[in-house]
Amino acid sequence: MSNTAARGRIVALAIAGIAALALSGCAGQSETPGEAPAAEGGTCAPEDIQLIGQVRNETNPYEKAWLDGGDAFAESVGLTQTRLTYDGESPKQQEQLRQALSTGNPECMVLNVLPNGDSDTTPIVKEVDNAGAYLVTHWNKPADLNPWDGHDTWISHITFDGKDAGRQIADAMFEAMGGSGGIIALQGILDTAAAKDRFIGLQDALAENPDVELLDEQAADFDRTTAFNITKTLITKHGDAIKGVWAANDDMALGALQALEAAGMDGVAVVGIDAVPEAVQAVADGTMTATVSVDGPWQGGIGLAMGYCALTGELDVAELSNEQRAFFAKQTLINADNAEENLTPTANLDDFACDNLFDRVTGPVS
Amino acid sequence: MSAPARIGPAPLETGRATPRRRHSTLLADFGPLSALVLLCIVFSVLSPQFRTWGNLRNVLDSAAVLAVIAVGLTFVLLLGAIDLSIEGVMATAAISTALLVANTRNDIDLGFLGIVAAVALGACFGLASGLLSTGLKIPSFMTTLGISAIGIGVATVLFAGVQPTVTDPVVAEWASGQWFGLTRLTFVAVAVIVIGLLIQRYTRLGRYARAIGGAEELAVLSGMPVRRYKTLAFTFAGAVYGLAGVMVTVQLGSGIVQAGVGLNFAAITAAVVGGTLLSGGRGGVLQSVVGVLIVTVLANGLVLIGVSPYVQRAVQGVIVVVAVVITAWPLRERLRVVK
Repeated sequence: MSNTAARGRIVALAIAGIAALALSGCAGQSETPGEAPAAEGGTCAPEDIQLIGQVRNETNPYEKAWLDGGDAFAESVGLTQTRLTYDGESPKQQEQLRQALSTGNPECMVLNVLPNGDSDTTPIVKEVDNAGAYLVTHWNKPADLNPWDGHDTWISHITFDGKDAGRQIADAMFEAMGGSGGIIALQGILDTAAAKDRFIGLQDALAENPDVELLDEQAADFDRTTAFNITKTLITKHGDAIKGVWAANDDMALGALQALEAAGMDGVAVVGIDAVPEAVQAVADGTMTATVSVDGPWQGGIGLAMGYCALTGELDVAELSNEQRAFFAKQTLINADNAEENLTPTANLDDFACDNLFDRVTGPVS
Repeated sequence: MSAPARIGPAPLETGRATPRRRHSTLLADFGPLSALVLLCIVFSVLSPQFRTWGNLRNVLDSAAVLAVIAVGLTFVLLLGAIDLSIEGVMATAAISTALLVANTRNDIDLGFLGIVAAVALGACFGLASGLLSTGLKIPSFMTTLGISAIGIGVATVLFAGVQPTVTDPVVAEWASGQWFGLTRLTFVAVAVIVIGLLIQRYTRLGRYARAIGGAEELAVLSGMPVRRYKTLAFTFAGAVYGLAGVMVTVQLGSGIVQAGVGLNFAAITAAVVGGTLLSGGRGGVLQSVVGVLIVTVLANGLVLIGVSPYVQRAVQGVIVVVAVVITAWPLRERLRVVK
């Protein structure tokens, strides 16, 4: 066992050394080749570090805000972020990462990635392991794949507790309804973990509030138009009995809001998740009750910051606890009290300081 | 041996329709309509809310956008071509409408002219699809898929991270207002359907489209300007998708890039369920509209009778497949190959 491990380390050192030599040969301006290899942490000159943020698309306000957060961090350390988008196509995502890793200097590279689905994370981690770049993933990973199982440069996996989010907006809605009345629930795409977890959160809240009745639950696929049409149908079915609409994301909440407006029903509590600017505006205007923010700009910056700190020697990945390497991050309920200040999501650069990196850990991903 | 056998069935091919053939055509023509009536009866029995005036309004309102798309798509399908550009064209039209009428993003306020511009933009996309298909002789599924990607790209650039919300009071009033108890979008859809019917019945575009779809080589040989009418059909379809994008924007009150997501598939399904053939030459605007109503009534009815969302999609799928089988059954002899 120890024999193979030792051999592995020697091979790694050798590869790193050769890579460093090769690099110094062609780049010229890089560090002295004799210095400790990058794999052991903290030897990239700050100006050589490459920061890459990858999300599905920029048509989604949340993912757009994410990349903007990455830009804000990059600018604060005098670098620029490479923005990659893959339009929700898994093969395209893999190809982009492969390209990025092969054309740059992976030893001084940080990837902050939103994998398209759970199963996409495994090949990404494999690619990045081979190349030796630093990686932070968000939202999706298979339950049995963990950064501490021999993935030295996969710093962290960051996700959010869907049950908690579903629960928080349900509680806010029940409060706005005065603790009783009928509600309808709009679920997301049914076979996604996000849709399932958020709905469990609602069910937990319902169990503790017997005076609130779930009149109907429908799947509106996280889509605004679908939610609009389904809500209209449900209004026909249940009429004024509807006192609240629980939606698993803001797009559906906004669609439902439009349907309620068209039916001339005001005073219905509508809640969603994601804190897209339009929804936050609706909360500020009082037409929506609450939403939950996972803070896109923070996500976009924090992954890059972790890698940057590791590469500049201010963070030792090997010393991180398991809870820091796969964790639920803090999410904030946005209601009438704090909507105004969240209208334009911007990154708070203090969050990205090397000693604040794990301030938002709320618990391990079980 | 074989000679008499060949003479035997010959009248079937050349003669006027035999009773059996007439019977099957009847089924193909009226099958979808009977299916629609049957669905309505079943849902009315199972759910008292289904037969309310309010719900009829819901159904018509939900069907409006899809019906408008289906009218445009029908002409392309009649040609024997396919159009996959709906999502992209709608995305660009939706975002540009929202940006051209009074909105939260800029100071432009073109009002009605903005809507006309969005429809014209849709027509330009359609024209591009048509010219690429006919001029370069690239299969329409490729050109339209490419145009769709361009549309999404343009929309993404215009979107720039912040959703434009429509603040134009006239537009908002228009969306929520009603005429004769029905929402105005329903009347827009009816108008488009009527225009589609007139084009199909009384213009060369309509008649040629069917002929081209039936036998393109024959049409070319007989001197029909096939390329011109094909391009025209794509342009008309593009304009109509643009209008659909405008309708979604008016309905939702803001311009979203996702305005047309899923509608491509839904419109093709509706057209086929209604009896418009993917192989071209058969079907029409009315058939497609019946298909749209079937799909919409199904979605609405399943929610009202309380079918669990977990099985809804499967039930929809089964019914759609059954409807297509019933519609296509009498025609199966004529379809020598299925691609």
